Amino acid sequence: MNPTLALTWLLLLPLLASPVIYLAGRASFRLGKSAAPARWLAAVALAATLVPLYYTGEAVLRAGSVSLQVGAISLRMDGVGLILAGTVLALTFLVSIFSMPYMRREEGEEKHYALLVSMAGTMVGLGCANDLFNLWVWFEAMAVTSFLLVAFYREQRGALEAGVKYLVQSAVGSAFVLIGIALVFARTGTLELSQVAAAVAGPLPLPLPLAAAGALFLIGFGVKAALVPLHTWLPDAHSQAPSGISAMLSGVVIEAGLVAMLRALGCLAPMSASWGAMLLAFGALNMVVGNLMALRQTQVKRMFAYSSVSHLGYMLIGFGVAVGYGIANGAAGGFFHLLNHALMKGLAFMAAGALLYALHISRGSHDPLMIDDLNGAAGKYPLTALALTIAVLALGGLPPLSGFMSKWQIFVAGFETRSAAVEILVIFAAINSVLSLAYYAPLVNRMYRHEPSAAVAAGRSVSVLMGAPLAVMTILVIVLGFWPGLVDAITHPAAVHLVSIFGGVGALARF
Amino acid sequence: MSLSLPLLAAVGVLGLLGTGLLGLLVTRNLIKAVVGLQILVKGAMLALVLAGRLAGQIQIGQSMALTVIVADTIVSVVALALAVQVRRQFGTLDLQALSTLRR
Repeated sequence: MNPTLALTWLLLLPLLASPVIYLAGRASFRLGKSAAPARWLAAVALAATLVPLYYTGEAVLRAGSVSLQVGAISLRMDGVGLILAGTVLALTFLVSIFSMPYMRREEGEEKHYALLVSMAGTMVGLGCANDLFNLWVWFEAMAVTSFLLVAFYREQRGALEAGVKYLVQSAVGSAFVLIGIALVFARTGTLELSQVAAAVAGPLPLPLPLAAAGALFLIGFGVKAALVPLHTWLPDAHSQAPSGISAMLSGVVIEAGLVAMLRALGCLAPMSASWGAMLLAFGALNMVVGNLMALRQTQVKRMFAYSSVSHLGYMLIGFGVAVGYGIANGAAGGFFHLLNHALMKGLAFMAAGALLYALHISRGSHDPLMIDDLNGAAGKYPLTALALTIAVLALGGLPPLSGFMSKWQIFVAGFETRSAAVEILVIFAAINSVLSLAYYAPLVNRMYRHEPSAAVAAGRSVSVLMGAPLAVMTILVIVLGFWPGLVDAITHPAAVHLVSIFGGVGALARF
Repeated sequence: MSLSLPLLAAVGVLGLLGTGLLGLLVTRNLIKAVVGLQILVKGAMLALVLAGRLAGQIQIGQSMALTVIVADTIVSVVALALAVQVRRQFGTLDLQALSTLRR
């Protein structure tokens, strides 16, 4: 397939499928009280999108990038966008399978699938945006779909509260991004990323408006990427959404915010040393705050949500090292962790969701899944408990699971900087990783060594359709732990590209 | 002292942004928070138009502002739909009632 055509379909398919899914589900619901066609259409549409993804990806890896010109708008898929698109589509496909039993007969089921597919489409587009304003448009489209999905249980107070907090904070953030765009445009007269980069290239310090624009990008996209003082919406939103959506939000949406931030900062590359230092500082904050808050949670999904805050910290360390010091290994580790985190946290949220469904939702209750509810779950749900165990141990960074490999790669890259401050930061990150076991390990202990809780004793079974995506992801987490080199083919080009955007020329060291 | 159009617009941008942020910070009413957001985004729109003028590309600035109007309207619609549900479920629009979730 022609790469340009493949990219066109990659962008169009999810966005075209979304209204079809809604209408088919709605029509079938009216006729026969079941929105089943929406479920299957969503899975089929996402599986079909993997075909243009394959051809686009092949061309990107061969030629570096694929461009598409639509009127005045230019889209360009490069290595960074490819990682995001691949992660998003793979996770969304698994989530769509998982949601079939999970969302079954839920009111507005067809809307859930339509929004899920269009959210995936907007994130793929976000990765391809080639000018600042276009980046904002995709970003805002992603935000709107995610607002609706967070507040999906629209009669639950918790979900409404989470939706309102998320919407207000995100909307303020996106207004900040717009002001940043206006500053860049007024100063340089262009918005295309590489042209802006060329226009601002010059001796430091950058003019104040451009530095201010960078700060506004950091804050505006930082809300979505949950940089620490701006993370307060995250634990509410990620724990109140339906579990499949929690997996999406934690696994890819905050990372999409991070990619958008890196793209926007990339066009102000002369200041990359400062941006790198800021990313490292936020990384440290994210890790420590996320971990300490996760320690004191009593609800499983809230705990995982805080753990996402801390995992974003590791990614920030990797990208901070890459941006500030031009070390491509840092970005490779960051991208590997991004992909890995989508798998691990997606698995954790989906396994917890399967238990939540079996223990509470299938019995008509909207109570949250408490950590106490998991007591003795391994006896009745051996496979789900195993999947959850693998997920949390990988998140905690236990070798030889995949989480260890990506953290290790980031830490090694940190030592490549030969900077004492970064080395201390890396040691701090390693300590944080151990600290995170303080809340993951008791979870495993409870499932395997405690007497079954009342909730487990009364729980229903977990269906095969829910278990299948869990099995696939568990296997992937283990496989990537033993053979982390499998994803080098996509993380390395992205890393080299990212470092070159920020003006570095770092080569990749081999391990 | 002469007041040029760009200067006037810049003052307008800052005024709108300040009013919007202040409104968001002091209000306890969800509808008023949405109004605050609207004012904030209007400031950003004016900033885009002004940037277009300063860069000598007025049409690009204006077309961006038009796009923002569309996106902003969608966000407001979602926000107001949430407000309707909040009123139904909580019986109030007071933002302080929206703090049932634990820290």
